[in-house]
Parts: sequence; structure tokens; C-alpha cells
Amino acid sequence: MTVKTSFRTTAVFYAKLFRKMHFIRCWRRSAAVITSRRSFAVKRQLCSVGSEDDTVFAMSSGQGRCGVAVVRVSGPASALAVCSLTRRLPAARTASLRSIIHPQTKELLDRGLVLWFPGPRSFTGEDSAEFHIHGGPAVINGVLQALGTLPGLRPAEAGEFTRRAFFAGKLDLTEVEGLGDLIHAETEAQRRQALRQMAGDLGRVYQDWRERLKRCLAHVEAFIDFSEDELIEDGILTDVDTGVCQLQTEMGNHLSDQRRGERLRSGVQVVIAGSTNAGKSSLLNMLTQRPAAIVSPTAGTTRDVVEVPLDIGGYPVLLSDTAGLRDTTDSVEQEGVRRARQRVEQADLTLAVVDLTQLPSEPGLVSVFLRGHLRSILEQTSDRQQCIPILNKSDLISTEQNHSIRAVLEKDGDVAHFSFLSCHTRDGLEELLTLLQDRLKTLCGDPLAGSPSLTQTRHRTHLQKCTEALHQYHQYRDVDLVLAAEGLRLGLSSLGRITGRIGAEEILDVIFKDFCIGK
Amino acid sequence: MLVRRLRVLHKALGTCSIQVADVHTQHYDVIVVGGGHAGTEAAAAASRTGANTLLITQKIQTIGALSCNPSLGGVGKGHLVKEIDALDGLMGRAGDWAGIHFSILNRSKGPAVWGPRAQLDRGHYRDFIQSELLSTERLTILEGSVEDLLVSAADPDKPGRHKVYGIRLAHGGGEIHSRSMVLTTGTFLSGSLFMGPHSSPGGRMGDPPSCVGLSYSLKEILGLKVGRLRTGTPPRIIKDTIDFSCTEIRLPDEKPIPFSFINAHIHCKPEEQLPCFLTHTTPGVERVVNESLHVNSHIHQDTKGPRYCPSIESKVLRFPGRRHQVWLEPEGWTSDLMYPQGLSMTMPPDTQLCLIREIPGLHKAQIHTPGYGVQYDFVCPTQLYPWLQVKSTQGLFLAGQINGTTGYEEAAAQGLWAGVNAGRTSLSKVPLSLSRTQSYIGVLIDDLVGRGVNEPYRMFTSRSEFRTSLRPDNADMRLTPRGFEEIGCVSQQRYNEALRVKKSLNEALSALRSVSLSATRWKNILQHVNISETKSTILSGEELLQYKDVSFQMLASAFPELLAPYLEFSERIKVEALYHPHCEKQRRDIERMQEEESLYLPQDIDYLNLPVSLSKEVREILDSARPHTLGAASRLPGITPAAIVHLLNYVQREKKRNHGTGKDVSCFG
Repeated sequence: MTVKTSFRTTAVFYAKLFRKMHFIRCWRRSAAVITSRRSFAVKRQLCSVGSEDDTVFAMSSGQGRCGVAVVRVSGPASALAVCSLTRRLPAARTASLRSIIHPQTKELLDRGLVLWFPGPRSFTGEDSAEFHIHGGPAVINGVLQALGTLPGLRPAEAGEFTRRAFFAGKLDLTEVEGLGDLIHAETEAQRRQALRQMAGDLGRVYQDWRERLKRCLAHVEAFIDFSEDELIEDGILTDVDTGVCQLQTEMGNHLSDQRRGERLRSGVQVVIAGSTNAGKSSLLNMLTQRPAAIVSPTAGTTRDVVEVPLDIGGYPVLLSDTAGLRDTTDSVEQEGVRRARQRVEQADLTLAVVDLTQLPSEPGLVSVFLRGHLRSILEQTSDRQQCIPILNKSDLISTEQNHSIRAVLEKDGDVAHFSFLSCHTRDGLEELLTLLQDRLKTLCGDPLAGSPSLTQTRHRTHLQKCTEALHQYHQYRDVDLVLAAEGLRLGLSSLGRITGRIGAEEILDVIFKDFCIGK
Repeated sequence: MLVRRLRVLHKALGTCSIQVADVHTQHYDVIVVGGGHAGTEAAAAASRTGANTLLITQKIQTIGALSCNPSLGGVGKGHLVKEIDALDGLMGRAGDWAGIHFSILNRSKGPAVWGPRAQLDRGHYRDFIQSELLSTERLTILEGSVEDLLVSAADPDKPGRHKVYGIRLAHGGGEIHSRSMVLTTGTFLSGSLFMGPHSSPGGRMGDPPSCVGLSYSLKEILGLKVGRLRTGTPPRIIKDTIDFSCTEIRLPDEKPIPFSFINAHIHCKPEEQLPCFLTHTTPGVERVVNESLHVNSHIHQDTKGPRYCPSIESKVLRFPGRRHQVWLEPEGWTSDLMYPQGLSMTMPPDTQLCLIREIPGLHKAQIHTPGYGVQYDFVCPTQLYPWLQVKSTQGLFLAGQINGTTGYEEAAAQGLWAGVNAGRTSLSKVPLSLSRTQSYIGVLIDDLVGRGVNEPYRMFTSRSEFRTSLRPDNADMRLTPRGFEEIGCVSQQRYNEALRVKKSLNEALSALRSVSLSATRWKNILQHVNISETKSTILSGEELLQYKDVSFQMLASAFPELLAPYLEFSERIKVEALYHPHCEKQRRDIERMQEEESLYLPQDIDYLNLPVSLSKEVREILDSARPHTLGAASRLPGITPAAIVHLLNYVQREKKRNHGTGKDVSCFG
């Protein structure tokens, strides 16, 4: 198991890649004789649903934010993983600094250390590799997703590295114990997260798919096991055909809805907007902790959009400061205002800054004023979820005024949505950051606080595998019903990795409920 | 006493001679109690492993009797028959001898789920089994009732609390000792029969009730947990009173395929096979069921009940308004009875008559014997090792309905495996288990001992994870070599045949792979085949065989020199080629499961206090299930990956420790 092996694996990978790109036809035409080895590979491609090569990957440096994250890959396709992400295999067991590139989009994901451990001298005894990358969720997510797109790779199940190492006779006993605790912590988190997710919209979607796919499989199984003895309606397979098609479409749509993934990859678009001189640029500078924008008491200082990439609570953010919104005759400023409005329209989240000193002194009018003011800032984007109204310059009004404004907002039930802030004294900054993180978490669509990216990649891979497997159902539907059913079984087991395993008994429950099966 | 009983046997069976050498022996290696499908296979298998075996049955005439349906095999069950045959059991050959109507079910659904099935002549089946047993070396048969088990304290160097060392015969018949014992009491363990509002003790209509003492021994002395299950049988109908013109005829296969791998033909002439008939229930049937519920005590007691519908009453109650199929099956060449499959019922006899007369074809039918229900005790099978020995009791093996299964094939499969292991243990050989990655028998036993039952367990193909690998056609390749080399229950002759087949199949597949042609050339050779690949695609003979309408014969006529030698195996080669890629794909999954199954968990682990990090929930699951291997543990619902890692660690530590003391951890028998 040396470099030689890995080159062969690499060759196999490129062969697969070529085939995908339809170059294979030319290649075949030039080949006089085809070896049995290759025809075998072709067949595997035909009937396989994903990874029979069984190479797994996972972030193995624990959860939560960290400076450096370690992504570990283990299995026969490890070499191809390294080659695909970093172009070539580094020397064995030597740390090399490499650019890590998405194999499909060729996008630069990170620069980090790459280590290559050919088996058997590795942690698991198999060929394995480690990517030491920057610890931000966007980077980790990017690398994990990139690995997930490679043929033969899938996310590791909890404890899988340890089990592989164990079977290879690689583990010291104390090591197993320690790792066990780590895995335990991870699975606990996953379990809690699963519970959280199952209560949410996404959970409902997954559960619904699970139930429907389970029913499809149960009906095919019923047809296989019982249709010769019992009365099972002829139309049942046609219904399954339709059911499977619908599932494929829905999962396909879900998978192509990249918005949440995109946010994690390229950052959440957060725009600071408001009237001139409300303190937008001060807010930007405070959040970035450096004078990124020029601040002056003159209204209309910021005329163009100022963009700063930021990491807030582990989430990548692209923060933009915009020109103050006002009617103006200055053509440069007009353009600035137009761009500001455009930004607000495209924003994932708008920080609407309001100058507290501009509020009407009559408490009864505060509510109406604020509502009107916010509407003028947000214009088309009326969705309150996408906006945090920030009442700035709280240091410039009296405590009594402050209280009366809070009282009014509280009466309207609005106080929780507003953030009181003084960019000058930094009063209210902590509260604002907490609020911001909450919103980012929602926007990035992941309830697992520790690692937003990890679960997403897992789900994505399993869903992809599921749809591929469902394709096998149609492929074999009229050739061999057992092989078609095998497609549904594989699909359900992929989906089961998200929603929980589905055993034979659960299938039989459906069969006995839906059909009258005798002794 | 014993001598007298054996004379009875001699008289009953007439023709065959008995080995008198054993007559005075009061000690056997193995005693098998019960002469049903489990008992007969157990006795034959134990003898094949070399153990001196005694089969005790209440009535010698009922050895090998088909107490319920006159048929064998089907989808899933047919897989079991093939596997029993591959391990040199009796059932497949008996079926070939006694079959009167052969058909392969699921013909249109892929060879992995083909269900070989036959209607049987009850008498012929019984005769075959009886004469096979009589000609089995090292096997003695005794008519008698077992009153009690002889139990002593366990051997301290092996796990378990008790040890069974023999039986006491009823009516002062004395004691017989043995090293191992297989109990196959079927429905006779505290059995009661139900018909209409009445019930009476018994395990089968017409036979005396039995096993009161046995039941007591199992429950009270050995402390085994038992549950109660129910089953039933339909009335038998007099053939001449049926109007077959109102039914659909179902003809058998014109070219019947034998169950047994060593039979080239079935016993009867294919053209002489008898047909079956199909009819349906009507709304009248539903009315009769509903009107007679108050006099149907069996149905009233159906509190928990199985998920499927064991009787016509349950079908009507659970799926009202539907039409249900009724198959009218012949009972034998000369029998004047028909068996109405699907009409199991427990109402009073006169109501049974009313009911069947609501069915087309049965308007004037007469009932010969009414249907009835049975309730009986079973031993919760989670108390068994995968080799079907009771964990707490050395020497005691259980097989068949006593373990909560239903069906002849399920019983026979367990009987065979219990017999093999009872034989091996009595000869001080290590007991063996069958993996669920290798056989349906393995799936059956793993499900039983791993998860237990709450309804009679029946085999379905959907229970197997590796359905494309575990097929009826390759049962001999999967089991016969191991059966000879390791298990010791297969004859030399059968083994040689399996090796010959294996060699030929491998050669044929290599030959097929060696042929590689472009799609265009294949199209020229096989003009009627629709090859979808583009012209220049190179296809091997094996790949071409994966096309639905390409047969091995077609390829053999194109390449006679290369392929004609293998024409004998045309069907099998086609199936192998079809599934080969999928089996390859599953190979890794299979290996993974086998790795985990090779890591044994000691049975005396105190999970609740095990000094490793496990949650309380996991501890309780493990404590109640007591999985035998790490693989079995990982299949338990609620077991986390972390728990498996900790168990791995524990096993390894124990292995090291025991290695030091020279004790082999891998065997806890």
C-alpha cells in the first residue's frame, strides 16, 4: 500500500471523471481491446449508487470555533481526494502547505496544511489524509462539501474512524476510551440537533419523505413477498412509480436550493442603512473594530458602498455601509442613494439605523414615526425578519426620554425587535451582537450551534445518494424487481442516516397495515 | 419397556430393520423430543454429525406428518427449503418425492425472489421422512411421552446455571440420559384447542395433550420466560362436493424443478401433476363471521394478536368489504379431500359449513374435518444462543414452534441447526452459528435470538439485507462446502457435486468475461436482441447476459467451443451474471457485518455495572437483549455508535486478559 497504489486509484478516478465528461467515447474508439478490469468498472458505474469504495471523511478536530480545523479522510480513495483538492499528492507523512481547491468549481477554498498517510502506517491502517484548514465554518463547510462531491467518498458515521482503526489493530486501549468519549459528545450533539431539527420545517420535510419512501418500499416488498398468495392490487407498482418520481423531483429541488449553503460560502449580506447622519458608518467601524469608513458630522459623508468581510459568532458576514437615504440634487450622492437602495433590496439582513434624537418628543407619535421611517428605509423589503432596527445615539437623549420610548415600544410589543445603541459609549453593543448572531444562525439555516457546516454537508450527501438510488429503481423496474427494490432500500437507508434507521420490522408494519396478509 | 416400544416402531414401519445395537443403551449423545419437521431434521442432522441419537415421539405414525397445509416452499420459505437441502437435510428431497404440483412463484420478479413451491401428497411425504430416518445411521426412534427433564447443576467451567442430562418417560418408562437434548414440542407445550365456544387441552386434533411436566420444568425449574401464541387450521372439504366450474384452475409448471440440488427430476411424472383452484370470499362470508362472533372464543381472546391475519375471521374484521382469495389445494394422489388455503377458522362446525357455502364453488360443499384454533406456549427465543442452545441451561436446545415461529420450513431449518449443534456439543466440538450474511437460516435465527418475537415468526425475503446474494439458486454454493468442511453435516457425495458445480460456474463465468465484442458485432451475432448501447461500446459475454432477453444458450450457440461445455448450468450462469455486479457491491457491507459478528460478547457481562462509559438507557437495552456478538449489539434499536466503540474496547481488553490465562474468549458454549 504505497504511492503506487494511490496512483492506480488516481487513475481509476480520472477514468471515471473522463467518462462523466463523455470523453470516454473517443477513448473507447481508440481502444482495440477492452480489459475485463475496465468493463468491470463500467458496470459498477452503471449499477452503483455512490460509494462502494467506501472512503469516509469528517471534521475530526471537534466541534465549535477553532483556529485550525482538521478534516480527516480515510479509505482507498484518500489519494484521489488529496489530488482532487490540491492537484498532487505530497510526500508521505510530511506537512505541505497547499491551496485547497473545489474540484468542480475550481474555486479556492483555503490554503492549509495537507498530510498524506499511505496505509498501513496511518491512524486507521488504510490510506488516509488530513487537511489542516482555517477554522471558520465557511471554510470547513466548503472543504467538506468539496469532498462530498468526489466519487466514492461519503461523510463518516460517528465512531467510524475509530472502528476502522480498531479493526486494523491500530488502537491502544486508552486511545479507544478517549476517542469514545469524544464520539459520545459528538453523537449527543447530533442527537439533540436531530431533535431540534425534527421539530422544524426541515424536519417535517425529511420526515414526510421518509414516510413516503418507506411506504413505496413496503409496497414493492409486499408485491415481492405476497402477491402470489394474496390479493394485491395490480396498480400498486404504478403508484410506487409515481411516488418515487415525486420524491425525486422534490429532493432535486431541495438540493438545488443552494441559498443557505451560499450564504455560508460567500457570507451573509448585511447592509447598514438609514437616514444621513444616523451613525451608520460609526456602527460599521464599531463592528469591524477599525476605521473602515470615514466618519464625520457632515450629513452625506458616505457616498458609495463600503464593504467589509467579517466573522460574527462563527458566521461569515459581508457588512456594507451605504449612503444615507435622502432626496438630494447632488448627482454623485444620488447614485450613492440608488446603490444603497439596491443593496437593501438584495440584503439578507438590514441594520436600519435610526437617530434617536430625531424621534418626535410626543411619546404618542414615536410608534407611528418609527414605522413610517423604517418603511422608507426598507421600501420593498417589508419582511421584518430581515431587519434589525437600531436606535442609535442613546447617549444623547435623557434617561426619561429613553424610558418613555422603551415604554411605548413595549406597549406595542416591539421592544424585543429594537436595539438601543450608542456607538459613542458602546452601550448596547453586547445586546446587538447577540441579536445579530441569532439572526445569522437562522439565516444560515442550521440549528447546530457548534458546526453549522458539518450537518449540512452530511444531509446533502445523503440526500444526493438517496436520489441516485431512486434512479436505480426506475432503471431496473422492468428488468428485475429485486434490483429495483434494492434501489429503494439504498435510498431509504441514505435518508435513514438523516432521519433514523428504518429496519425490516418497520417495513413489515406498513405491509401488514396496508394489505390483508394471511397465515 | 424400551424394547417393547421399539418393537412397536418396528411393526408400524414394517419394511426397514432397526439397529438393535442401541436397544439396551440407556444413554445417547443426543435425544430429540418430537417428530415434526423440526424434530425429524434435528434427529437426522445430529446423526449426520456423528452423534448417537434417539428420537422420541408420542406417535410413530405421525412422524413427518403435515399437520396443516399440504404444501412446501413458496417465496422466502422456498429459500429455506433449498438451504436445508444444501446442508443435506430431509425436507427438499421429501418434497421432490411427495410433490404433486410444482411451481416457481414470482417468476416475473427476478430470480433472487423466485419461490419454489409444491403441493404434497401427505402420505408420501410422511413415508419418505419415516423411511429416511429408519435408514439413518446412529439414529433410534422411540414411541413415548416425555414426562420430565432431568436437570442438575451446571458444569462450573462452562456458562449457564443448569444442565440437562436426560429425560424421564411418562407412565413409569424410566430415565434415558444424554449429553444434549433438542426439544421440538411444536404446539404441544401447554397447548389448548379452540372450536366455537369451547376449548380443550391438546396440541393437535386427534392427538393426546402432553408435556404438562415439560412445561413445568421449563418454566419453574429452568426459569425460562415463556409467552403464548395462537394459530389455526382450516376445515378440510370433501373434493366430490366442490363445483370446480365456479373456480379458476391453476396449472403446475410444465417442467417442474426439484427442490433438491442432488435431484435431477421430481418423483412424479410432470404431466400427471394435479391442479389447484382459486375462488374468492363474498359478502356472505363476512355476514357469517360477524353473526357468529359470540360463539367464537378464539377470536375473542385475540387481544394482542399478530399484525397479519391468521384466520378468515381476522381478515373480515380487519379488512371489511374486501374480497379475499381462497385456494383449493389437493391433499394427495388418492385423497378425497381438498385444503382451502386462506380459510383458517375457529367458529362452531355448523357455522363453518354456513360460511364455506357462501363461497363460489363451495355452495354444496361438505366438511370432512372442521377447522380449529390452537394456543400454545413458546419460549422467548432471546434466551437462546445463535446455535439454539438455551443460554442458562447446558445441553438443552430448542427448535421450531417452541421458539415462536410458524411454518414447516422455519421449523425444519431450526431443527437442522439445533440438531447439528446438539450433535457437535455432545461430541465436545464447538457449537457454530450461521451468519445472516450467508443464509436465510442465519437471518431467521439471528432475528429470533436477537430480537425475539411477539407474533408467530414467518420468513419473508424482505427480512434479508442481502437478498441479491442469498438466492434459492445458489444455496448449495453458499452452504454445502461449509456444511462438509466445517459443520460436518453434509455427505461426501453431495460435497463433491457442489465442488463440481462451483468449478463449472466459475469456469463458465471466466469464459464469458473473456469474450469482448463491440455492440455492433453482438447485434450481428444475436439478431433479435435489442442492444441499447452505442455501436462502439465493448461488451463482455457476462454483460450481455445481463440483458433480459439474452440466454446462455444463445451465447453458447455463438461460441460453442468456449461455452457449450457449460450448457448444463445455463439457468444458473444467467442468474449469476445478472446479480454479479450487485453482489460485488454488497460484498463490503457483508464483510463489515461479518467482522462485527466475529467479535463475541461474553454472556455473563453485567451490563448494568460494566466499568465502561455507557448511558443508563444503553445499559438497559444491552442487559435485556444480551447480544451474542458486537454485530448483534449494533443492530439493536437505541444502541449508539459510541456504545459500540466502548464495547469493542471491552471485548479487546477481555480477550487480552483471557489470552493470558489461556482461555478462549471466542467460545462461550
